[in-house]
Amino acid sequence: MDWNQIFQNTIRAAVGVDAIYFAIAAIGLNVQFGYTGLVNFGQAAFMACGSYGLGMTAQYFGIGLWWGIPLGIICVIVLALIVGIPTLRLRADYLAIVTIATAEIVRLFVRSVKFNNIFGGTEGISNFSREYRDLNPFDPGQTYGVAPFRFSGYTLITVIVGWVLVAVFAALVWQLMRSPWGRVIKGIREDEDAVRSLGKNVYAYKMQSLIIGGIIGMFAGMVLALDRGSVQPDNYSRDVTFYVLTALVLGGLAKVSGSIVGSMLFWVLFVLSDNILREITRNGPLRIADFTVIQSTQVGAVNYMFVGLGLMLLMTYRPQGLFGNRKEMALDGR
Amino acid sequence: MLGDNRSAKTLVIKLCLAIVSFFGLLSGFETSVGAASSDDFSIIASVQNQTLVDGSTSRTPVAGVLITVTKADGSKVGDGSTDENGLCTIAVPSRDDYLIKIDPSSLPDGLTLLDADKSTVSISKDLFTTNTKRVTFFTGEGASAGASETERVLQRLADGIRLGLIIAMCSVGLSLVFGTTGLTNFAHGEMVTFGGLMAFFFNVILEIPILISGPVVIVLGGLFGLLFNWGIFARLTKRGIGLISQLVVTVGLSIMLRNIYLFQFGGRTKQLSSYSKQVNLEIGPIGITPRDLTTAILGVIILVSIALFLQRSRLGKAIRAVSDNVQLASATGIDTRKVIKIVWFAGGALAATGGIFRGLDEQVSFSMGSDLLFLMFAGITLGGLGSAFGALIGGFFIGIFVEMSSLFVPSELKVAPALFILIVVLIVRPQGILGKSQRVG
Repeated sequence: MDWNQIFQNTIRAAVGVDAIYFAIAAIGLNVQFGYTGLVNFGQAAFMACGSYGLGMTAQYFGIGLWWGIPLGIICVIVLALIVGIPTLRLRADYLAIVTIATAEIVRLFVRSVKFNNIFGGTEGISNFSREYRDLNPFDPGQTYGVAPFRFSGYTLITVIVGWVLVAVFAALVWQLMRSPWGRVIKGIREDEDAVRSLGKNVYAYKMQSLIIGGIIGMFAGMVLALDRGSVQPDNYSRDVTFYVLTALVLGGLAKVSGSIVGSMLFWVLFVLSDNILREITRNGPLRIADFTVIQSTQVGAVNYMFVGLGLMLLMTYRPQGLFGNRKEMALDGR
Repeated sequence: MLGDNRSAKTLVIKLCLAIVSFFGLLSGFETSVGAASSDDFSIIASVQNQTLVDGSTSRTPVAGVLITVTKADGSKVGDGSTDENGLCTIAVPSRDDYLIKIDPSSLPDGLTLLDADKSTVSISKDLFTTNTKRVTFFTGEGASAGASETERVLQRLADGIRLGLIIAMCSVGLSLVFGTTGLTNFAHGEMVTFGGLMAFFFNVILEIPILISGPVVIVLGGLFGLLFNWGIFARLTKRGIGLISQLVVTVGLSIMLRNIYLFQFGGRTKQLSSYSKQVNLEIGPIGITPRDLTTAILGVIILVSIALFLQRSRLGKAIRAVSDNVQLASATGIDTRKVIKIVWFAGGALAATGGIFRGLDEQVSFSMGSDLLFLMFAGITLGGLGSAFGALIGGFFIGIFVEMSSLFVPSELKVAPALFILIVVLIVRPQGILGKSQRVG
């Protein structure tokens, strides 16, 4: 068993692109779920807005890549209004139901044969990121850095841009939550009626929180699209939101650092489990006596099984996450 | 039903045994298939329906078409049917010459092969440039299927009634659990899948006819629901964990169970055996197989008995009382904890029934239940969250609506209008048809 390689892969996962886009998505989800108490199960749809926003500029509108950002923001706002207007006055569960449904419909739309000419169907969109690649000061063919932090020039640019974005959004959210606006938001989570009695328009605040979290999530989708060089509908399935949620809960809700550390830790654990299981099953299925314990095709399922189990255990025994503060976790809305 | 603790314990032990044996046996089964496929040669047959839309050809996948692979000498290698992407992967032992046959009688009504002579495609071993070889069959709306508008509407209506019955059946438990405990259970779809997979296990692997194994599966489904309550949610409530946190726990449970199913069952969709090929009965303009007719009639019987049970029996009244107002019901001497257990049992049993029916109607897969979850939510929101009758009416309506809407929207997007209903209901009347307004917050 090549433990050295496994060790290196695991360490690299902490700073890789996967951890970055999870961190950005988690920061956004944290604004909605951690600070405001909005159960948004459709973060994947907001991420898809960013990715498809970028992808469609070149593919469909023939305009510059960076128009993808305003396009994505418009998309996010429209989506947030669709899910928010009917549900934000109601119990928290309704938002969960409508967001999960909307995210699934968005995915069905972009992968449908009917809109193949716009969204590219199941193949998605590729060949849109040339403008971004041209800005890359590194040689895409070369590798940079020291092990285990060794990236090809192709990836390195996204790693750097990604961590800058993480830092920017972390600072932004940290500042926002210290502002009067943030205090109202946290007040809504604790006691909506009390905030309302102070004359605040709770509905509008919730909507703002949903949109801000969504826009941050949109940038996560953009980072993913730029790194992969393509946009594929199945990267935005319902479960992606849940994995981001797990990372968020792992790090601790309602803490800016929680979303970042949680995402890094999530990917470290995930890659570790994945690498070990793959190593075990590489030379055929693992058997104990005649009973097949696991074979290589089942590795993915086992990893995600752990994610689900982890989410359940965390929510039950440590809802404040590994580093969170229990007082901040009064997540028990109506 | 579960009055004393001892019988509850025996039930749980039995349930655990059943689950362990289920996974153990299924695992053995999966390995035998896996051993063949790990040699990595497979044939992917794709069935695509071509239509002319605005002058350009558009293709949609056709699901549920039977594909058989034989060797050149006619000996059978494998068979399968296409999934929702119109794909059917059949593992083959080696790089060799094969014949791939499509069964035209398994095509959906109104579709025929574009080239009727090409129901068999032969591939030679040189064509395996990689380990998989893809073969595509094209279908189109044949001249023979000149169905009139009314016929199409009636056919969709019949399909919709079948789907509606399944959704209504599945969502009663979801709605009642919400009504009695306040929990929105995102793992309810996995209870439906449990029924489908168990039916597959008994029907295909143990080869017990579905009429005998069905009731066993339904009881197991009920115990599975009970296990949810006993193992997780009753404990969480006791620990004082809030409903939103519990909701997130159900999400984790859903992910975990779905991946356990994937682990054991594999990612392919499979058919409940001996029900795969049936000839349509023509009832007026509607074509329906005897199997579908039977499930539809059984479905109606089940739903009517649920309604009668809730309306007439003591227990049914108690359930409705608890889901109306827990404190008040408890003050009138109803044992709410017992009622909650019964609701979990009944919900699980009904979800499993829905899973069996869905498996008979379509196919069995590890995500068959979670794919229906959104329609169930749309149904119970329309009917009124927490109301059992609401779930019956709402689920039934959503099923019909979804199938009917495929007359106007592409069938791959036919669930999209259900989201529209969901949103409109929440704006216009958030408590749904039969729900109570104080519940919506």
